[in-house]
Amino acid sequence: MRIPAVTTATLTLAELKQIIVETLRLDAVPPESIADHEILFGGRLGLDSIDALEIVVALEQRLGVRIRLHDMETESFKTVATMHGAIQSYLASQAARPE
Amino acid sequence: MTVVTGMGTVSAAGLGKARLLAALRSGTPTLAHIDRSDGMHHRTSARLAACVEPEALRGAAAPTDARRMSNPSRFALLAACQALEDAGLPIPTEPDGERAVVVATAFGHTAFTQQMFDQILDLGPTLASPMLFSESVANAAAARVALATRAAGPNLTLAQGEAGPLLAVARGLAEIEAGRARTVLAGAADEMNPLVHAILDRFRALARARGDQPERARPFERRRNGFLAAEGASLLLLESEAAATARGATPIARILGAWSAFDPSAPPSGWGNGVDRLAARLRRGLTRFGRSPGDVDAIISGASGSRAGDRLEALVLRQAWGGQPLPPILAPKETTGEYGGAFLAAAVLAASGERWGSASDSVDVDPELGVGMSTLPLPATARCFLVTTLAAGGPASWLLLERP
Amino acid sequence: MPPARAEVAVTGLGVVSGWGWGVGKLDAALASGGTSIRPFVRFDHERYPTHVAAEVPERRAASESVGREASDLSFADTFAIAAAREAIAGAGLPGDLSNHDAGVFFASCTGGGFECESFYEAWRGRNLWRGPRRLLASHPVSRPGEAVARDLRVTGPVETVSSACASGTLAIGLALDALRTGTVDIAIAGGADSLAHITFGGFNVLQAMDEQPCRPFRAARRGLSLGEGGAVLVLERLSEARRRRAPILARLEGAGASGDAHHMTAPEPHGRGAAEAMARALRDADCRPDSVDWINTHGTGTVRNDLAEFHALEVVFGAHLDALHISATKGSVGHLLGAAGAIEAVATVLAIRNQRLQPAPGGGGIDPAIRVRLAREPVAASIRRALSLNMGFGGCNAALVFSSPGLGSEGAT
Repeated sequence: MRIPAVTTATLTLAELKQIIVETLRLDAVPPESIADHEILFGGRLGLDSIDALEIVVALEQRLGVRIRLHDMETESFKTVATMHGAIQSYLASQAARPE
Repeated sequence: MTVVTGMGTVSAAGLGKARLLAALRSGTPTLAHIDRSDGMHHRTSARLAACVEPEALRGAAAPTDARRMSNPSRFALLAACQALEDAGLPIPTEPDGERAVVVATAFGHTAFTQQMFDQILDLGPTLASPMLFSESVANAAAARVALATRAAGPNLTLAQGEAGPLLAVARGLAEIEAGRARTVLAGAADEMNPLVHAILDRFRALARARGDQPERARPFERRRNGFLAAEGASLLLLESEAAATARGATPIARILGAWSAFDPSAPPSGWGNGVDRLAARLRRGLTRFGRSPGDVDAIISGASGSRAGDRLEALVLRQAWGGQPLPPILAPKETTGEYGGAFLAAAVLAASGERWGSASDSVDVDPELGVGMSTLPLPATARCFLVTTLAAGGPASWLLLERP
Repeated sequence: MPPARAEVAVTGLGVVSGWGWGVGKLDAALASGGTSIRPFVRFDHERYPTHVAAEVPERRAASESVGREASDLSFADTFAIAAAREAIAGAGLPGDLSNHDAGVFFASCTGGGFECESFYEAWRGRNLWRGPRRLLASHPVSRPGEAVARDLRVTGPVETVSSACASGTLAIGLALDALRTGTVDIAIAGGADSLAHITFGGFNVLQAMDEQPCRPFRAARRGLSLGEGGAVLVLERLSEARRRRAPILARLEGAGASGDAHHMTAPEPHGRGAAEAMARALRDADCRPDSVDWINTHGTGTVRNDLAEFHALEVVFGAHLDALHISATKGSVGHLLGAAGAIEAVATVLAIRNQRLQPAPGGGGIDPAIRVRLAREPVAASIRRALSLNMGFGGCNAALVFSSPGLGSEGAT
């Protein structure tokens, strides 16, 4: 089954939270309950490095953004808000790159 | 002396010893139709398997952990927690370096492995799930058990097909006797997914319906034509008898000894003709643990319904007994099926004094095998039990249990 | 019945690796400081992010030489059988062990998984019965060890460990136990694994694979490289080996194992579990940490593992770490998964046998956070006692202590 890539060059915070919840099968966590500035990894959600990699794969699948695990472990991916900002930068730089 | 002080079991019969015992007493396996919609089965294939009901897995782990676990891990985790509770042992707050984990698996975590490979093929390697890979390694179940029960001692996953469960107990025994662990969670965990079911059927290993004969495993019977595929997990809590006594725990069964051998005449997926050598190894093991065939009150046989496997088992037992009458033989795999360790759990239940069987003796034993087998309950006085498994491909393992 | 603490000797070695078929090729390679990790042809890896591995070079005669059932044998089975035959021959033992008390203690992580993948790729969604059955025959990970037992007509215990990267080391530990308790007289201990899509894809998707050949402990390290092959050690009680006048290559003095109980894939960052495994192995060998001269590390080349491993070494060896020679075989042969512990044990015995260091392949400075002495040249060194460590997925850790045959009880606790 091929998941169509999202063609939009933007991503809302709500959409990002939805991706996180779906990808990580957080059935008991409503996406809107994840605070924008809540620590994602090692926090109350119990997410770890494997979850980080799952998100990486999901982002590549859905947005065509390829993120290194190394970057996932920096400040820019700590919260949904910072992750969102980093992804926007990735999307912008990919759009700017010649084919 | 090493004893079993706790036991956990997850199988098609349900969760826990009582459910398994009820199933054994009914003499009827709990069967489900295997999903054949992927088209990989033959149209005349076996259709049934003894699968764990998904409902039974609710509450196997905290939701945040459960979301990532494969079925063998969930089964093993449930069984481990049951075993510890049964043994009266709490889960420690700090890692316990004296608790070992030995889990045997025949096929590993095949559903996740298959899913991941499907993703590699369909989505490309960069889009396969990291979580599936981390949970598809054969030792994922043992790792999950160690994580959840804070077991920081030796952590082993054994893979030896049908011989796995008894080998895991043998290994657990060795860890305790060598002083490398104080307690051991030992047993087996397996899942039966459609692909493995189809592969087993491809090798003609599974029982099939024939004419008016329903699909059913019939150990030692004249009409047997394969085994029942099963899944689940069973784990025993092992410790030294001295340690158990010191903390006031009541042993469920005593383990007198465990030993194993190999029949090199067996082809990779079948059974060979090494009767003499296997019988000699069986006798040697008994002798090593201070017993002779005459001391064995009952045999809990790993015969599963395989034509060749059950035949070899019968011949080996007869040879080992040297023409003397065999004690009563129980073949629990008729109900438990093969894989997942419920056979091991049934053997421990029998050794602990539990009895099951029908009032009338109605087994159509294959006369060629020369063994008597009945559905009557084992004698109440039986105290010494030989548990056997001859695996396809050559491995043979035996366990000697005693009622405490 | 032998005494419980009988001394155990290594009497034979067998190897199949990215360097080729035979211990001699590995021995020469370990002195050269080269790497066998290179672009491989086993399967099409164009869609994968990395493209190198230590692939076993094909040996056309292999399938003919292992008998008529060869077509049912997987790559892993073939590597296992070849390595076992070489080890048994080197030990001066017959190729038919049915009249000996022999057992096989083996390790594999994927078994015939590659062959099964080939079947599945062609036949998924279709009736299995129409595909070639031989590709499925060796699918379980228990098969390589059983193939060895069948080939050598072993009639004693056969056990297979599948505990990820620690499997081979654990299997050798089982062999040691079986010899000490008198369960067997001859133990054939080892492992085998082949390259496969699942593992190549899996480690890539975990972003744990380096695009270049792995560089354990180097500052520029970016991950592991996979390898494949088989490795076997023949072990016997020393008294038996002497009686038989068998070659005594080294002594296996102790084994230790532990679990991290920390995380499914990442090692406990302070190396606590690995330190515990080493400490247990040293206690089992009844020797002090400062009596160890050489360590064969797990050394995968991943950022996390090497750092955690270093911390574990610090805990166990303290100041003595500065005097220890450190080697990382995976730079030469890649990560052999189930066979890793076995091939690294072989490398350890070779170091003791040759009394010579094994230079680390590739250049580049060592990570300043990691204080280890990696050899640059195959110089002579006094290697009287060596320790081999492996740290597996799911937090399985295992260590072995080997010593030179002539070492007395010096260094005992």
